[in-house]
Amino acid sequence: MDAAPAVAVALAGATYVYPGSSAGVRDIDLEIASGEMLVCIGPSGCGKTTLLRLIAGFVKPQAGSIRLGGRDVTGADARSRECGIVFQSYALFPHMTVRDNVGYALRVRGVAGGERAKRAGRMLELVGLSAYADRLPAALSGGQQQRVALARALVFEPRALLLDEPLSALDAATRVAMRDEIRRIQRERAIATLLITHDQDEALSLADRIAVMREGRLVQVDTPQAIYDAPASGFIAGFVGRANVLDATVAGADAVDTPVGRLVTRVHGREAGAKVAVLIRPERVEPVGDRETGDNLLAVAIERDRFFGATRALDARIGASRLAIETSSRAPVRRVRIARDAIQFLDPVPPSKEAT
Amino acid sequence: MTAARAPRFVRLVTAVYLAYLAAPIALLFVGSFGNLWLNTLLPSGFTFRWYAEVATDPSFRRAFVSSLTVAALVVVLCVVVGLPLAYAVFRARRPAVRAVARVLYQLPVALPALVLAFGFIRAFSSDALPWLGSVWLLVAGHLVLGLPYFLQAVVADMQRLNLRVLEAAAESLGANGAQRFFQIVLPSLRHSILAGLIVVAALSIGEFQFSNLVAGFLNRTYPVVQLQAFYGATGFACAATVVLLALALAASFAGAASTGGAIRPAQVH
Amino acid sequence: MLLVAPAGALFALFFAVPLAVLAVDALGEGGTAFARVFALPTFWPSLGGSLVLTLVAATLSTAVGLAVAVHLASMSERRRTLLSFVIALPLTFSGLIVAYGFILGWGRAGFFTQIVAALGADAAVIGKALFTPTGLAFASSYYLIPRVVMALLPVLVNFDRAQLVAAESLGATRAQAFRQVLLPQIAAPVAGAACLVAAVVFGAYGTALALVGTQLRILPLQLYSLVSETGSDFPAAAALALLITAACSAMMTAGEWFGSRHERHLAN
Repeated sequence: MDAAPAVAVALAGATYVYPGSSAGVRDIDLEIASGEMLVCIGPSGCGKTTLLRLIAGFVKPQAGSIRLGGRDVTGADARSRECGIVFQSYALFPHMTVRDNVGYALRVRGVAGGERAKRAGRMLELVGLSAYADRLPAALSGGQQQRVALARALVFEPRALLLDEPLSALDAATRVAMRDEIRRIQRERAIATLLITHDQDEALSLADRIAVMREGRLVQVDTPQAIYDAPASGFIAGFVGRANVLDATVAGADAVDTPVGRLVTRVHGREAGAKVAVLIRPERVEPVGDRETGDNLLAVAIERDRFFGATRALDARIGASRLAIETSSRAPVRRVRIARDAIQFLDPVPPSKEAT
Repeated sequence: MTAARAPRFVRLVTAVYLAYLAAPIALLFVGSFGNLWLNTLLPSGFTFRWYAEVATDPSFRRAFVSSLTVAALVVVLCVVVGLPLAYAVFRARRPAVRAVARVLYQLPVALPALVLAFGFIRAFSSDALPWLGSVWLLVAGHLVLGLPYFLQAVVADMQRLNLRVLEAAAESLGANGAQRFFQIVLPSLRHSILAGLIVVAALSIGEFQFSNLVAGFLNRTYPVVQLQAFYGATGFACAATVVLLALALAASFAGAASTGGAIRPAQVH
Repeated sequence: MLLVAPAGALFALFFAVPLAVLAVDALGEGGTAFARVFALPTFWPSLGGSLVLTLVAATLSTAVGLAVAVHLASMSERRRTLLSFVIALPLTFSGLIVAYGFILGWGRAGFFTQIVAALGADAAVIGKALFTPTGLAFASSYYLIPRVVMALLPVLVNFDRAQLVAAESLGATRAQAFRQVLLPQIAAPVAGAACLVAAVVFGAYGTALALVGTQLRILPLQLYSLVSETGSDFPAAAALALLITAACSAMMTAGEWFGSRHERHLAN
């Protein structure tokens, strides 16, 4: 194996609050392994860009420490941290050709012109832009500029790659293509990567692990599947994927009372009468025929029916409450079943957190 | 498209306005080549002699050199003083700095050149600051009156380019302060710096209201001397004026050429 | 801090100090200098002349500038760039160029004066008109209109012209659409531009001096006479200078206020 330590980026108790405000990040513990793609997701203003700026060295933590490749860089400036950064606006130098942009990090490191052009050329090949080397950034499309920014950030073999909402400025079709492109290149270079986004599809499809952030704190860090299937709170459930989050009361050893009725499920030793919240993903609400029998069958009235081609998203009414349903069935929906294992308990969220 | 066309009277106003705009320039050119123009519709005879006279007149020659010297000094000092200031204004987080900059932008209009000149006369004829008549005083005045235009052009360009992010990008790629300034900041701003300096130079060369009172006899600038020509022959006055006009036009063309590359459709739309 | 030091020194020495000296001059004798200004026989006529000049020049250049800007905004980008270049030319012209050009065109024996006279107008009246405050306003508009156009053009280019089409589709005539849909939305920047050019023309004396000499009664020329004549009352001149500066600054501030109102309107 190579000499790179297993943990490329490590934050311990890192805190930075913007002077004169309460915005920032607090007490961040986070590790990114070599070659790992960690996607940080959260609503706007949650501090995810501040997290990136902390790692990049544009702001210095007021408490805690930051290590890159095993070296403590807490007080080091951005220059010496050697993080490759792709900015949201790309920040390509408008007066330099694509090749000069990509080669800039080598230029400031004193790499001679010929060698520089060769290495920049190899990076451009990697991102598929060899034909554009002599153009100015303004002559490129958004997706192409994105690739140049990526090549520029990688050319000097940085310790980590940091991407700040790299796809937000692209149109929908380019975005999906670039998503795969970023993943391919990141895999190929096996570089520790932090990608900031507010797009859950991006997070789920790109990440080795997802870090969910809220109000300056990390609220859950786990694999995409774990975040989706076992979110730590209703907030996370709602932010990653669509979710039905129901207030419920434990009604015995194997049932909960919810606004849509009593549902049979394992309560994992919770006491009867305890107030809980349960999560039911819309795709786990399964339309069934009229003759179906068994547990957790509910009669529903469909209020709204949106057709997306492969799937339908339905808003169903059950008594006074609503349930979101996602199905590939085209048949009319009058009854649904919620499988026992589709009902997950969320840790109750302290009311103080919910208030803001 | 047709519905978005301007009403007919608006198009008429533009046409009349363009004629109004062109007429004095055309008449000055015609007059400068006319041998004799006295109570006739247009001058009679064609001659270059007025230009030759302006070119050989010692006071006009001295004034021309004086104007160019002052403009050159103003331009150099404008970079030295204005570029750091523009950068400071751009980076400023405190609203007070931005407020000061906004006041500065309005200064050339809010403070008439005449009043500034009078202030100079009173302040710099004293024993403490006996500088009246020095060419540096002219330079200082032109700088105070021109710098705000330079500042506005460069700060706007810094904002448009999002210079801060460009610098952050360069920093993350390993560039130190000097490398960032000389390899990123200066080259990416070159269009607006050049355009701003051209405006400042043009204003300095055409400046009359301040210079007329502050210039010493030996460093009178071109417009100050030019006013004397108005009381002489029409052709001479026209030729003297056309020289100034040509400098202003040259500055405008140079300015347009320098910003031509910087103005992109995205900015105008 | 280091970055603003050179500029700070420049403006301290060559802006703050001269202005402070004038203030000391003017206020030194307990404000009696102002009383002497008001007592000058030419002060009130000059104030009147300045007001006529400012009012006529600001109105004329704002009206023409607005029309031209509306026209430019409706053009293709190419033509607009070209025409705005031509229209911006006078911005760097010295006031003297304008003055002599207008003498050639509208002076006593001017090109247009003679044409109008040939058509039956009184040449003596036309030839004298240029040398009145109103005539000066006509000449000054030469470098004021470009300022109006440049101030309003971005506003009009960014105005969503589909609104005018919408108004016409709802039955408005084109004139109604302009008056009822466009004008109310650009009223603040138009007022701002008017204030700007009013401030410019109120404080200027170059064109006037070149056209008429010091006989014309406007405040800046009165100040110029006081300053350039030997043995004048400098405290009174300083007081007059402060009055003119205050008026220009006030008009400029009003213009800024209108401008910021428009920005707030856009932000909402």
